[in-house]
Amino acid sequence: MSTTVPVRREPAEAQQGDPGRSTTGPLRHRTRRGTDHVRYTVGEVVSMAVLAVLVLVVSFPVLYALLNSFRTYAEITIDPMGLPTSFKLDNYARLFQETAYGEAVLNTLIITVGTIVLLIAVVPMAAYGIERIGGRTSRWVYLLFVAGLMIPFQVRMIPLVKAMNEVGLYSTLTSVILVHLGGAASFGILLYCSFIKSVPVEVEEAAHMDGAGRLRTFWSIVFPMLLPVTSAFVIIQALGLWNDFFIPLVFLDSTSAGTINVAINRMVGLLTSQWELIYTGAILALVPSIIIFAAFQRYFIKGMSIGAVKG
Amino acid sequence: MSETHTVEKAPVRISGTPTAQSDPVRGGSQRFRRQRAAMFGFIAPALLVYLVMVIAPSLQSIQISLTDWDGVNDAYNYVGLSNYEDILGSERFWNAVKNTLLLGLGSAVIVNVISLAVALLLDRLHHWQGFFRTIVYLPALVSGFIAATIWKYILNFNFGAVNTSLRDLGVPTWAHDWLGDSDIVVSVLLFLLCFTLGGNTTLIYLANLQSVPQELVEAARIDGASGRQVFRFVTWPMLAGAVTVNLTLAMIAGWTIFDQIMVLTSGGPGFISETMAFFIYKVGFGEYRAGYGSAAAVVLFIVVLVSTVVANRYMRSREIQA
Repeated sequence: MSTTVPVRREPAEAQQGDPGRSTTGPLRHRTRRGTDHVRYTVGEVVSMAVLAVLVLVVSFPVLYALLNSFRTYAEITIDPMGLPTSFKLDNYARLFQETAYGEAVLNTLIITVGTIVLLIAVVPMAAYGIERIGGRTSRWVYLLFVAGLMIPFQVRMIPLVKAMNEVGLYSTLTSVILVHLGGAASFGILLYCSFIKSVPVEVEEAAHMDGAGRLRTFWSIVFPMLLPVTSAFVIIQALGLWNDFFIPLVFLDSTSAGTINVAINRMVGLLTSQWELIYTGAILALVPSIIIFAAFQRYFIKGMSIGAVKG
Repeated sequence: MSETHTVEKAPVRISGTPTAQSDPVRGGSQRFRRQRAAMFGFIAPALLVYLVMVIAPSLQSIQISLTDWDGVNDAYNYVGLSNYEDILGSERFWNAVKNTLLLGLGSAVIVNVISLAVALLLDRLHHWQGFFRTIVYLPALVSGFIAATIWKYILNFNFGAVNTSLRDLGVPTWAHDWLGDSDIVVSVLLFLLCFTLGGNTTLIYLANLQSVPQELVEAARIDGASGRQVFRFVTWPMLAGAVTVNLTLAMIAGWTIFDQIMVLTSGGPGFISETMAFFIYKVGFGEYRAGYGSAAAVVLFIVVLVSTVVANRYMRSREIQA
């Protein structure tokens, strides 16, 4: 967890033991790493309390949905603020039996994993190519990619639906993956290019001299060095793809079970009375996000910090 | 391979005749050219996907915006700029612009203020900071879509938790049709959009707060600056870069705000709570006016482009002064 930016503090460290100043602000960063022997201050405890309350308040909708996913429809509508009387998983079972939720989960998984695998297959390589060509050409290619950040999906939506219809891909998972690929390429190039700048060329040249081809040099020498940025990119994309609603909404019609979000949205339309299933579906949709976050938290916060401090 | 390489080169360097000297140069440039070709090969797959999936459809949008295409039939006519004239004269479109400014950009600013405040609180902790950073981030794992879906039921007029609680508390007149009353619906949406602790935005502010040189803060304190003054004259200028990043990201997302509108109100009642992104979707697919919708999309693109460039330039200039 303690992966924050290790910066400054040479002069500060000398005063580490000075007890007279431990209650004021300036000392705060010195003990961030290592053993904490700074006393709790009133301000700090108040900050903790405020943060805890804020988290509880903001989590209210999710906690509410979680509690109600264990209640029946009658219970929810008669007493909306009531607590569950038992923690039976009936609603969770019904969700898979009575709706297309299971298929939607599978679709979402295919889209998320498929898009990420393809992104990793093409984007780091392209960013590497852009950085190694150098000069004016590479600058223009780079700008072309990055300009995509300013093109909202809505701008390309209508022609894309038309084109997907023409080639017979409309309402397939392939169409959703392809559309995602284009949208994520810009961000990927931005992220990887800024990182590859700092990768030394000498290592690759050595590998090249030893007879490795360009492709092998890239995948066996350069790509492993990009791991920090790859992990950040994968996590950010995984969460974004899993949570996306608009693109599958537009590209998947009723012939497909849709993604989780699309499936939930259809339940809102069709089964207006089955609130308990919608709460249950909403809670289940969160599980993978929480797992991804829990598993990769370190990389996650590091990745955010890398991009952030650079500006 | 490496052996032959060195063997070939060795005599060239020793001999030193003019022809031999030019050899390695030519060999180098050839290798360089081959390398360039290989590098273009590396770029090609991503570039192809990007051109086909982003650039080409964006340009085609401009073409479609000049037609009366309905999105379904093959036949359409070119109608010049009349779609644009219709849009700019449409009250419904301007209402969508107003909502986008209020909901997208208004919430972007408010969420940034909240995030900075939370980051400042986190920065004060010397114990348990990692733990609090994690729990503060957790609510951000809930996507806008899921949160909106849950809120839709919490705010339901008859059986929602909010109205039921208000009635139980003896103030039934406070119960409203939160998402169906055209007087309050936009304010309710704004509130729901700001009901967050920021997530990524907070993490970015926190990382930047922690990289503020501590010597500066201490120097200011020794000179007798109050906590507020330290923030105003030391911390805040040092955060300029983070503000640029966060506001730019939030602004781009804000211009295209869609999920929450689609789920909570579908733009209603009537067209009251439509945003530009929702307007384009509704017109293009729901009302079979793809040409008209494309024109609105082109307008949206121009707005996003101009505002991003202008805002970035302004904020960057602030950074240099700081």
